[in-house]
Order: sequence, then C-alpha cells, then structure tokens
Amino acid sequence: MTPELHTIRLTVNGAAVSVQVEPRQTLAGALRDQLGLTGTNLGCEHGVCGACTVLLDGRTARSCTLLAVQAQGRSVITVEGLAADGERLHPVQQAFAEHHALQCGFCTPGFLLTTIEYLDEAPAVDSDAIRQRLSGNLCRCTGYHNIVAAVKDLVRRQAAP
Amino acid sequence: MRQVGKPLARREDDRLLRGKSRYLADLAFGDQLEAIVIRSPFARARILSIDTTAALAADGVVAVFTAEDLVDVDPALTRQFYSLTPAFVERHDVFLGPYREPILAPGRVSRVGEPVALLVATGRAAAEDAAELVEVDYEPMDPIVDPLEAMAPGADPVAADVPGNVQASFRIEVGDPGRVAGTADRTVSGRFRIGRSVGSPIENRGAVGVPATGTEPLTVWSTTQIPHVLRSYLADFLRCGEEDLRVVAPPMGGSFGGGIYAEELLVAFAARALERPVRWLEDRRENLGNARHSRDQIIDARLAYDLSGRFRALRMRIVQDCGSANLFGLTLPFNIASHARGQFAIDHFDVEGLCVLTNKTRNTPVRGAGRPEATFVLDRLVDMAADDLGLDPAELRRRNLIPAGEMPRDMGMLYRDGAPMVYDSGNFPDQLHTALEASGYWEKRRLGGRAGEGNRARGIGISSHVEATGLGPHETARLEIDDSGRVVLTCGSNPHGQSHATTLAQVAGDALGVPYDRIETRFGDTGLLERGGGTFGSRSAVTAGSVVHSAAIELRRQVLELAGELLECDPADLDIRDGLVSPRGVPGIGLGFPELAAAARDRNDGDGSGLSAHDEFVPSTVTFGSGTHVASVAVDRETGVVSLTGYVVVDDCGTVLNPMVVDGQQHGGVAHGIGNALLEEAVYDEDGQLLSGTFIDYLLPTATDVPDIEVIHRPHPTPLNTLGVKGAGEGSTASAPGAIANAIVDALRPLRIEINEMPITPQRLVELIRAAEAEHMVGSAGN
Repeated sequence: MTPELHTIRLTVNGAAVSVQVEPRQTLAGALRDQLGLTGTNLGCEHGVCGACTVLLDGRTARSCTLLAVQAQGRSVITVEGLAADGERLHPVQQAFAEHHALQCGFCTPGFLLTTIEYLDEAPAVDSDAIRQRLSGNLCRCTGYHNIVAAVKDLVRRQAAP
Repeated sequence: MRQVGKPLARREDDRLLRGKSRYLADLAFGDQLEAIVIRSPFARARILSIDTTAALAADGVVAVFTAEDLVDVDPALTRQFYSLTPAFVERHDVFLGPYREPILAPGRVSRVGEPVALLVATGRAAAEDAAELVEVDYEPMDPIVDPLEAMAPGADPVAADVPGNVQASFRIEVGDPGRVAGTADRTVSGRFRIGRSVGSPIENRGAVGVPATGTEPLTVWSTTQIPHVLRSYLADFLRCGEEDLRVVAPPMGGSFGGGIYAEELLVAFAARALERPVRWLEDRRENLGNARHSRDQIIDARLAYDLSGRFRALRMRIVQDCGSANLFGLTLPFNIASHARGQFAIDHFDVEGLCVLTNKTRNTPVRGAGRPEATFVLDRLVDMAADDLGLDPAELRRRNLIPAGEMPRDMGMLYRDGAPMVYDSGNFPDQLHTALEASGYWEKRRLGGRAGEGNRARGIGISSHVEATGLGPHETARLEIDDSGRVVLTCGSNPHGQSHATTLAQVAGDALGVPYDRIETRFGDTGLLERGGGTFGSRSAVTAGSVVHSAAIELRRQVLELAGELLECDPADLDIRDGLVSPRGVPGIGLGFPELAAAARDRNDGDGSGLSAHDEFVPSTVTFGSGTHVASVAVDRETGVVSLTGYVVVDDCGTVLNPMVVDGQQHGGVAHGIGNALLEEAVYDEDGQLLSGTFIDYLLPTATDVPDIEVIHRPHPTPLNTLGVKGAGEGSTASAPGAIANAIVDALRPLRIEINEMPITPQRLVELIRAAEAEHMVGSAGN
C-alpha cells in the first residue's frame, strides 16, 4: 500500500519550497529528509527536549510533534536560516560561542531559536525569567550556566540604549 | 604565546552553531536500509516461537533476523570490558563469574527491552509498521527485580551460568577495621539506596553498517565513545580480523557512559548479509529503557570515630544491581570502594562488593561511575557524625582531611588497574577553606534551618570528593605535517562535546610553536589510527593530552632538524614561533611549514613530507583530581520541592588546559549531579516493567533546576604526567548529590531528618518531613 502523498508549499529560511509528504510525516522529517536541513536535531520525538525547535511564523514550535502538512503556507526558520554560509554568525550564535554555551551542540539549534523568539519580546534583564523561558529545552552538557549567561548578555545588549 | 591555560575560543563551535555538524542521523549512505529492533515486552520469559512470515510479506520489508539467523558469528557478547591483574584478583579476593549477553535472545529473555529480532526495511515507517507483524509467543515467568531477593537462597538464576546471581565480588581490607570500629567511641551507620539513572545524552544512540567495497572494509558508524574497542568486539562477533573492519564515530550529541551494545554489532551483521548499508536509529523510549543505565546500589555503611571527632574506621557493603548482564565486572562497586574514603584520613577500612544480576537493563558506568554514590554515602555519614558530636560539619571535615603535607598518600589498597592506589597530589584543607569562604558558609550556616519566605527553609551543605582520572590502558596520537605544510593531529580519543579539537590543539600548538587554530584535528576513525583508547572516565585530557604533547615534541625535533640542515645551522639555535622556524632571537624571518614540507617531500622523492610523529601514552596508573562543593538550598516544607539557591565548586584538575572548557565541564557535571540528587530515576515495577520511558517521566534537570555555579580553580599539578593534568569530567557529578542532601538536612535541622536515598524527590522528602513532624509531636508530648 503506497501512502497518499500531499504537496505542501511553505517558506523555509526565506525561500519558497514545495515538498511531497506522507500525511504522517512530521515537519522535522520533512526538513531533514526531504529538504536536507539536518541542523534540526531530533532528541526525543515526543515534544519534551526541544532540540527540534524551529520558528513557525516567528513563534517557536516543536517540529517533531508537528505534521509537515500543518506547515502548509507558513514560514519556517531553522538553524540554517540564521546565518548564510560564509557569512558572519547571527548575534545569538555569536553570543553562544563567546560564552561557551554549547558543548556537543546537539541541543543548540533549539536553544538558538528559543532565544531569538525571546529577544523579539524585548525582555528585561532577569535571570529567573531567562531560566524560565529556557526551561523547555534540555541540555545535558552545559548545565545551562553558560547558556543563561549568553542570553543574559544578549538581553542586556539589546536593552542598552 | 603560550596557549595552554588560556580560555581560547572553541574551534568546534562554528559548524555546530550553523547546524552544519553531521551527527550520525544526518549521514546518508546511498541505498541504505533502516533497521528496528524488536524487543522483549517481558522481564523474564521463554520464547516459544517467533513467526516472521507476515512481517516478511509486508511492504518494504527486506529481512527479519532472529537468534537462529546468527550463524557463523559469536551469538553473544562474552568478553568483559576490563581485564584484571592476577595480583589484584588475589589481593582483593576477587570473584568474577561469566558474562554472557546474547546479541539476539536465544529462546529466553531476561529483561524488558532485550533485542529479540532485527527487522530491516526500505524505510523507518515501513519497518515500524511491519514490526507489529512479527509474532513472538512468550511464556512469561516471574522476574527478579530486587537484588536482595536475587541473592536470597533458592532464588532462580537470572543467567543460567550464574547460580546464586552474584556474578562478581571483591573484598578490600585496609588496616584492622573490625577491631578499630569495635573499640571506637561512637559510630553512625545507615543503609543507603542510590537510584538507577540513565546517561541520557540528547542524541539517542545509532549505528550504521556499511558493507565492504573493493577499497573499504566493512565499516560501522556508531555513536560510540570507544571506536577501537568496538572494532575488537566486532571482530570477535563476526569472527574476522580487525584489519577487515573500520569503525567511525561521527560527531556525537553527547555521551555520558558507554560500552558495547548488540545493536552496533547487528547492523554490521545485517549489512554484510544484505550487502547494503543498514542504519539503526534509536528512539528515546528505547534509549531510556536500554542504554546507559547506571548507579542502582544498596550500600550499608558505618563510620566509627572518637569523641574528639577523629575518624577511625569505615566499613561498607555494596550490593550493585547489575541488571541482566554485567559487561563491566567490578567497575561500579569497585569505583565506589576506591572513592569511599574521599578526602579523609581513614586508616581502617573494609568493603565487600557484590555484583548481582536482576531482570533489568544492564548497568554501565555513567558520568561519575561510582564516585557520586561513594561521595553521597560518605558526605551523609560525616554530617550524621557531626550532628552526633554537636560539631559543625565543616569543623568535623577540617579535623579529618588529609593534610597537604601528607601528599602523596598511599591508600593501602590497589586501584582497579592493579597499581597501588595513591592520592598523588592536592591540598584538601585549602579547598575546603576556599569553598567555605566563597559560599559565605558560616553566615548561611548561622541562618540555617530558619524559615525563609513562606514555608521555605534555607540550608547549606558541603561535599568533598576525589576523582581517579586518566585511566589506561593507553592512548595514541599521530602528529604530522602534510604536503601543504599543514599540521594534522590524529588521536585515538574521540570527543562528544569535550572540546578535543580545541584543547588538544592547544597542547600540540605550544609544543610545536603553531597557533592552535591552524592545526587540523581528526578523531574517532580506526581507519586513521591503528590503536586508540577512547573518551571515558575523565581520561582524555590526561591520556590524549599527554600523548599529543609527546608526539608534538618529537615532531618539533624533526622540524628543527630539517630546518637546521636547510639553514646550515645547529637545530638548537632555532626556535618555532607562529609556524615559522627562525634563528633564536631573530623572530619573523625563517622557514615556514609549507617550505619545510616541500623540502622534505623532495628529500623523500615526492613520497610525502615524512615529518610525522606517532606515539602512545601508557599511564602508570590513575591520577586523582578532587573538588569541594557547597550547595545552598531552599526547601518547601509543604511540597518537598528543593530549589538550589547557590552553588560553589572548588576544583583541582591539575594543570588547566583551557579554563573556559573546564568550567563548562564543571557546570555540566554539577547539573548531572543535581539530576541524580533530586530528579532522575529509572523506575521499574515489580514485574520488571520500566515506568519511566519518556522525558515526561524521567526528569532531566532544566534551566530552572540548576543555579548559577561559581567555579574556582585551585590546581595542584600531578607529577604523573608531563603536563601535570588531572581529569575534570566527572568530579562535579560526584559531589552534587552529597552537598545537596546535606543542605536539605541542614534546612530541616529542627526536624533532624536523615536522607539516605537519592533521588530526593518531593514525594520522598514530604514523607520524611511528615514522619519527622509526627515523631517530633510524639516526642514533645512525651516530654
């Protein structure tokens, strides 16, 4: 039995794309397998660890528990969309490097996109609020200390007049 | 400019931050097939029949392998991970029974999740659909889930060749603990239970088997910490030579403990049989049920001391729940034993260690591997003794720490590698003093136990540990200058987040006079290096660092000799700076590595530069790092929820190669220890069913569970290697549980609760609080 395929059109990292997917295909699967965007990592596939976080119309979403067909007509940003090849890193990526906010790097794409969404809300400098906001993403390597420091630095720089 | 010791930026980050790193699941191997493992749903059962007919007829299914199909291979893992010296076996009364772990279950299963069949299909979805069609007829039997029941007379054997279920045991005796404990003024004792936890890297395991081609041998790509060891197990299994195999560990999404797993072997078997690449990717439920379980001991311990507070004897009995098979032999309980006395002078000491089989997932060493368990028990005993004596815990600790002047100190026993166990370096009293000052201990202690806001009581706790690091048997590296003049570093220790490409390049760069970011690094490929150890047990900075250092010094000698010939001068008059060989005192002019490589190539008739140094480091034994932690907590007496409000780490890992990287290891280690202390537990029910198969049930610490962590380095370089390096990867996991437990007890001081179990979940803590409150009320009434 060959499963029925759906053609979906969406914008990924600013480019219009069209992909054929099975109804059960996840957004993460479509990004990784059909579009070759393997920067989106799968850690738990049940929506807890946050490694697969992408931006969907500017808001964070777990691409492992979202069906690809649900992204029809919408805009997706993945980690590959933050800085073009050979270009300077995005300021959030840069801050993570400066603060040693990644070790194995597997959870990092999810943290980057979560941070970008957070910064868009022009938050105040508040460590507890930052920790709350990051608590939907799991990291086993860093103990979060340096991730919080990187985000705090970004918030502070953004808040500075 | 010296590079070692500086917080130089990581070279790994750019690729990782751009999402360009290629983890195992990101790799594609042509017409690869997807495998899934069909696993036992029962903890103990006979397999009456397996019918694969319907599955084989399903869309996309290529093959289903069961135990019957494993012909011309070794059907079980039987070689223990570590070997022991005869002297060690004799000295510590070691019994080591057989280890046997079937690759696919042959007629019976002994744990939930045990691989029963491997189904291979054209895609993952097709494989999962068809898996339901494999009909396995099981006859369930009563499992043994509790190790004490497993040891009881008449208990059924979990493994047929291990009657009585004690698969391994040892006994350590230092001094005269029986007599001394019997005559000491006071003792405290307890039964301590260490919960079973799971290593839980964010990347699950995975492996790909790629069949041999005309030019490449049969290759296994795996999320392994030990590619060379895996190759040797593959050779055993497939009954072929190691030269007929290649193992590659791609970039990994963390790894906190390892071993050898059936799945890594099965993909090779399937790829060879089907002549196509076969990939297996684990899902999280499989990982939480099958991979890298650890801890899980019952430890009876007794500390004897004088009224002056001087520790006299420590006695301990460790029951290690190994699960259904024990690849690692004595490792976990012996690690507990060898770290049990921590930083204290305890001259009389005995331990009995028992490795017991049960119908649960196999236990492996995970970050800390015995150290957190040992440290938790000792930290608790010390604070119990302090309470008994009416002394502040810090003061009791101070009185018993090994003085700096007594280092190195022979601990009167052998380490697991067979060498006398010696604390080689460190200053424990200074560590304690520094930690107390940095944490504001005395002020907080004065306030301890008093309610803070609402029902939140505040407390502070201390832990100190030692950490045997840099375990052998060996590590290998090659440093060479390629045709273009680029320095290439190849090492047998492969990273999974530890920053080898930065720190090892710093070491090589200093020796060679080349900036670290101009050194290319290669890891994790047996095709590149004949021998290698791997990354485990806080060993890489020590073993890989040392061999990279010595190889770089040899390459430097070769470079200077060649430059001396070309410049017609004594090599001793030359120096290398910034990748340029110059006469001493005349920097900025001279020969660059590209010119030297070209000259060397000409000399070799075009056959490479020949500038290459290959070396192997064989450590004499482990070197002991150490640390002292102070945790501050707030405890909600109503809900039992514990919040960390402050955390100080004082660490001694010897020479610090890169403080930014070492701090990161400390932060991560503390977080792992917080998870073990408060949150993480792999829970089995009485039927041997795992109840914690998702990240909703198995709780990893999140950003709100971990406080800001202050790390202070007080390095005392070891004399055991040229760099003076001691490992740093695991010590912080060791101390977090004890520090937190002691802080909770301090916060609840008026209730005088005892914590002897981890994780300290809100439920457990509420039970302790309620029980203590009830007793308190009865006590008050009685008075």
